Amino acid sequence: MSTPDHRVVEPLERLLRDSRQVWRGQRMPRIDAQSTGYASLDAHLPGGGWPIGALVEIAPACNGLGELSLTLPALRSWCQEGRSVAFVQPPHTPYAPALVRYGLSLDSILWIAADRDEDARWAAEQLLREGAAAVLLWSPVQQDRALRRLQLAAEAGGACAFLYRAPSALSNASPAALRIVLSAAGEDVRADIVKVRGGHPRALTLPLHPLSS
Amino acid sequence: MCLHLPHLAIELRPTPQDGPIAITDGHGSRRCLVACNSSARGSGISAGVDAPSALMREPTLQLLPRSKADERRALHGIACWAHQFTSDVSLDAGRWRVWLEVGSSLRYFNGLSILFAKVREGLARLGYTASMGIAPTLEASALLSLHPDMLPILNPSELGPTLSALPLAGLDIGAKVIEQLQLTGLRTLEDLLAIPSDALARRFGEELPNYLQRLLGHHPDVRRRHRNPPIYRRRFEFLEPVESREGALFPLRRALQEFEGYLRGRDSAIQELTVTLRHRGPAETVLKLGTTAPQRDAVRLFALLREKLERTQLPDAVTEVVLFADEFVEPLISQGDFFDDHQRRHANWSALLDKLRARLGADAVRRLGLRDDHRPENAWCIAVDGATTSLGESIPDRPLWLLDPTPVAELPQLLGTPERIEAGWWAGEDSSRDYYLARTAEGARWWLFRDANTNRWYLQGLWA
Repeated sequence: MSTPDHRVVEPLERLLRDSRQVWRGQRMPRIDAQSTGYASLDAHLPGGGWPIGALVEIAPACNGLGELSLTLPALRSWCQEGRSVAFVQPPHTPYAPALVRYGLSLDSILWIAADRDEDARWAAEQLLREGAAAVLLWSPVQQDRALRRLQLAAEAGGACAFLYRAPSALSNASPAALRIVLSAAGEDVRADIVKVRGGHPRALTLPLHPLSS
Repeated sequence: MCLHLPHLAIELRPTPQDGPIAITDGHGSRRCLVACNSSARGSGISAGVDAPSALMREPTLQLLPRSKADERRALHGIACWAHQFTSDVSLDAGRWRVWLEVGSSLRYFNGLSILFAKVREGLARLGYTASMGIAPTLEASALLSLHPDMLPILNPSELGPTLSALPLAGLDIGAKVIEQLQLTGLRTLEDLLAIPSDALARRFGEELPNYLQRLLGHHPDVRRRHRNPPIYRRRFEFLEPVESREGALFPLRRALQEFEGYLRGRDSAIQELTVTLRHRGPAETVLKLGTTAPQRDAVRLFALLREKLERTQLPDAVTEVVLFADEFVEPLISQGDFFDDHQRRHANWSALLDKLRARLGADAVRRLGLRDDHRPENAWCIAVDGATTSLGESIPDRPLWLLDPTPVAELPQLLGTPERIEAGWWAGEDSSRDYYLARTAEGARWWLFRDANTNRWYLQGLWA
């Protein structure tokens, strides 16, 4: 019997290991994740945090609900690692003093203000693919194809794509790995995990407001 | 940058090599070795030796005739592959050399050493041994490729001083001329350059002084550029029909690496690829490879191809393999994905920002900075290089979204005690504001202020 050719075997093994397209029956695929910083949320996410290389949809009932605080601890971790995060087409000015106060380094933050949604999505894809740790994108886009492109870009770059959408947008199917609806619940915020790849939908309350943590 | 492939003639063989093999040129007893594999080199055989003495030294040595057509094809394949590094590629099939004009690519590849490493790594993956030389002229880089311990020459003015100490042996002026020069007592290039050009021309013909002029950059060296063909076709001919699937696959690993370089060079990908296995006679097996997404990764394509071939019945041994693609699509993964993760993140980031700015406008790609000002709307800025991104003093609690102050019609529920911010009086903008946190009926947290002068309420931030 001939010995296996390592020049072939190694790339193939790497392919099998790294590709999400190949299902290996013997074990559950490992899910890379970045802790959300909220223990109760981590507990319900397979991998224990934001899935790396995936699209995450966040749908706040209104702005100012804690939608940014939800991602803040993870953003802070990435900044501390010297990785970049990008705000693409945010609805308001990301306020630099607050970002610094919460431990984000401004050198790691990029703010993309595109004129057209199409350009914003293009920029988000480029950033996801080419080295950003996370991209936060605000876009009204509905087409499945556009969502799929974001998912693919996140996968290719091993980055987190956070797409902020209106709750009504979540009535359509999506390739996202995780979809969360935020609404007010008294002092706290109710987070409805309406879809989670490899887990079960559920609702929990989170102390999202920065002042309450 | 010059790539010199001293073992091209042997390394181009599309079959795995066991045992000592050498490639010969010429006929009969005048056959001379032009290249040999590492096994033959291990037996002390090297190019330049004549066939009988080589056989004497190593009786099991297998001698194969040289095929200049194969060498041309192989160099063409390498040139196609090299287009991923620069659009300006030229080659000299007779001298087994490929040149890459890399001056304009350095920025993209983050410097010479990274580019150098990429080219070297890529060539190794193709299965070729190459030495590389970097200099401002084609001939100087070719000369340096024979002296791998020499540093790259980046400045044309360094050409003369750096090269002059080199021996005559590596000059591309023909072995006979070199011998004659050495007989007259010349040792180094400096000795040669000391002789007036017209004297050299009279003695050795115009070609010698011309070569020296091109070497030193005194005369332009105009060569035909290698063009990346619009349709890709790469053929490998087996010397003997190959029975096994593995054997037929062997050259395709290299072919797909070359193909990946070619695709990168034209910034495209494929969704369909045809591999034809020719058998003896007119029979052929055609494998059509389709991918759902645009693809150009050689390793993935090879894996797909192998899978496909394993499920295909081959009617006969394979004599020839042809890779063919004529439909190209936009790549899913944009440039630069051959960097490993870490390198890629660093090396491509600034190129990416350039790309974003080019499409969206310079103003659209922003960085944030701080300003030492108590007025919330002035405490931040869009940063240009060197702006302050941290302040010594601690920052009070602030909302994550900042809005232009917007008059509030209906006051939501105010929470806690106000923060008085007074600033700007010295600039004639006397302002005194009481800032409140408030919660709307929907649960949004607002940052409001009451203008102490007018008693009006404004929304200025959201605690997102």
